[in-house]
Amino acid sequence: MLDADVEVDRREFTVRAALTVAPGERLALFGPSGAGKTTVLEAIAGLVPLRRGHVTLHGRVLTSTTPARALPPWQRRVGLLRQDPGLFPHMSVRDNLGYAPTADRHGAELEELAAMLGIGGLLPAMPARLSGGQQHRVALGRLLLAHCDALLLDEPYSGLDTALRRSLTELVVRLTGDRQVPAILVAHELPDAQAFAGRLAVLDAGAVLQTGTPHEVVLRPASRRVAELVGYLGFVPVNGPGAAAADRIGGTGVVAGVHPDRVIAGEHPGRGVVLAGTMTGCRPSGAGWEADLRVGESEESAIVCRLADRPEAAGGRLAVTALDPPCFGPDGTALASRAPGMTTGMGRA
Amino acid sequence: MSVAGAAVIWIALLGPVIALLTHLQGSAIASSLTAPGALDPLVTSVEAGVVTLAVLLLVCTPLAWMLARGRLPFPRVWEAGVLCALLLPPLVVGLLLIFLVGPYTPVGELLGHLHLSATNTFLALVIAEVYESAPYYVLGAQAAFAGVDPRLEQQAGLLGDRPRRVFRRVTMPLAAPGLAMSLAIAWARAMGAFGAVIIIAYHPFGIPLQIFTTLQATGLASALPFALVLLVVALPLPLAAYTWSARAGRRRRG
Repeated sequence: MLDADVEVDRREFTVRAALTVAPGERLALFGPSGAGKTTVLEAIAGLVPLRRGHVTLHGRVLTSTTPARALPPWQRRVGLLRQDPGLFPHMSVRDNLGYAPTADRHGAELEELAAMLGIGGLLPAMPARLSGGQQHRVALGRLLLAHCDALLLDEPYSGLDTALRRSLTELVVRLTGDRQVPAILVAHELPDAQAFAGRLAVLDAGAVLQTGTPHEVVLRPASRRVAELVGYLGFVPVNGPGAAAADRIGGTGVVAGVHPDRVIAGEHPGRGVVLAGTMTGCRPSGAGWEADLRVGESEESAIVCRLADRPEAAGGRLAVTALDPPCFGPDGTALASRAPGMTTGMGRA
Repeated sequence: MSVAGAAVIWIALLGPVIALLTHLQGSAIASSLTAPGALDPLVTSVEAGVVTLAVLLLVCTPLAWMLARGRLPFPRVWEAGVLCALLLPPLVVGLLLIFLVGPYTPVGELLGHLHLSATNTFLALVIAEVYESAPYYVLGAQAAFAGVDPRLEQQAGLLGDRPRRVFRRVTMPLAAPGLAMSLAIAWARAMGAFGAVIIIAYHPFGIPLQIFTTLQATGLASALPFALVLLVVALPLPLAAYTWSARAGRRRRG
């Protein structure tokens, strides 16, 4: 069990995060660039000092501020993988794999692991000869042979193409499961975080805004800021039952968050909020289409929706349904009440 | 710039070496180098050079590492100090060393208690050579250490290596080619040290002083063979360092 409750001072803000990760569990720390994600990992690895807090790993205290103690990085048994694989350029693949003082450079474990990682034939090669994906496999193998008690992944595969990234991610998922080590992945791309993690923590400006399953965080963002971070592109004012609920809570200005991927064509009042307005643009996106829809006068009422079929907008008008959208009050917090059957859009108020 | 232009500049730079080789006479070499005690200065120079390199390695390597890794407060001040030492003309360094290690200074008196002296002794020769070569070594070694990615050292630490072991297994091997080059340059400077040497270490004779006194006593023709000796002694180490660091680079490229 990795238990970290850390406060680290940075120039712009203080990073605060409290995380627990069970053996074999995979947590993704998701957030925009500069949110402090890497700082959290570095605090766990002992590379930056804590202002306050503690880190324990399987009952061992790695850092605590009361009483003050901090194990140096080389005694923590915490593995850190960064975007740069960081292989030692003057050592062969074999020597890199077996670098850790506890690893056996000529043991059976090294051979087996290399074969499993698909780098068995590269053992005598120098790192400069390897492709990016192979270098990452070596870096991963090196951590595993060091028998780290926790694995920290700092956007390790963000420079690689999608297929390679996916296969490496699956490899890490399998290995962390096999070895029952807690793992934390830092990601600023949601699909990467979702592909890896069983649990997602959203970090913004140094604060954890929400923790939950990846699906839960995307479908029920705790606040409008979280919704923005996980890809909600439009926030439209809602009327009808939802607005009435908002009145009771204390104000108008309730908005429904519209995620481009959670929109279907046509009016389906039973499944969510019907949005009708003027289509201002339409272009192919992936295997479907992406349409810009303006449902009101305000700047916020411009939404983006991704649809399977090319939308047919008669006279420029288009109606879509945002499936079960989360609603947010004027202060940005999520409202508990859902609003099925609400409608919004021009001429429907 | 064309190849021809580059060749002209290259040949111009090599001019002194070419002149040396074309003006040497076999008979002069034979008579100069076979005189009794003619090669004693060579032994003195090599011995002093080896001691100088050892001192640089032991004393200046840690300083260069600290400069490169920003372990010192006000790093610019430290660097400016090293540059000052580099910019002072060797002759001036020699004059000023009298005030530092001369017989009537605290250091000189301390040495006197130990029955040592830093004027006109082997120790004085080493001190002069260290002062003439150290700035070249420190700046070169600093660049060599700065070229080692600190993240590699960090990674080695996370894999379980103590700092001392990281230094031995990662930092030193990666900085070694650059260190070897700077050491080779320092060696060439130490071998050719003259300005500071002539002030505080006129005796024992090294090769540069041998060249100078021979030139004054018997003229250019008999001085040239000793220049050849200096070249032959000073050059192999830089050449070896160069080929070795090129090999290390090739090996890393796989």
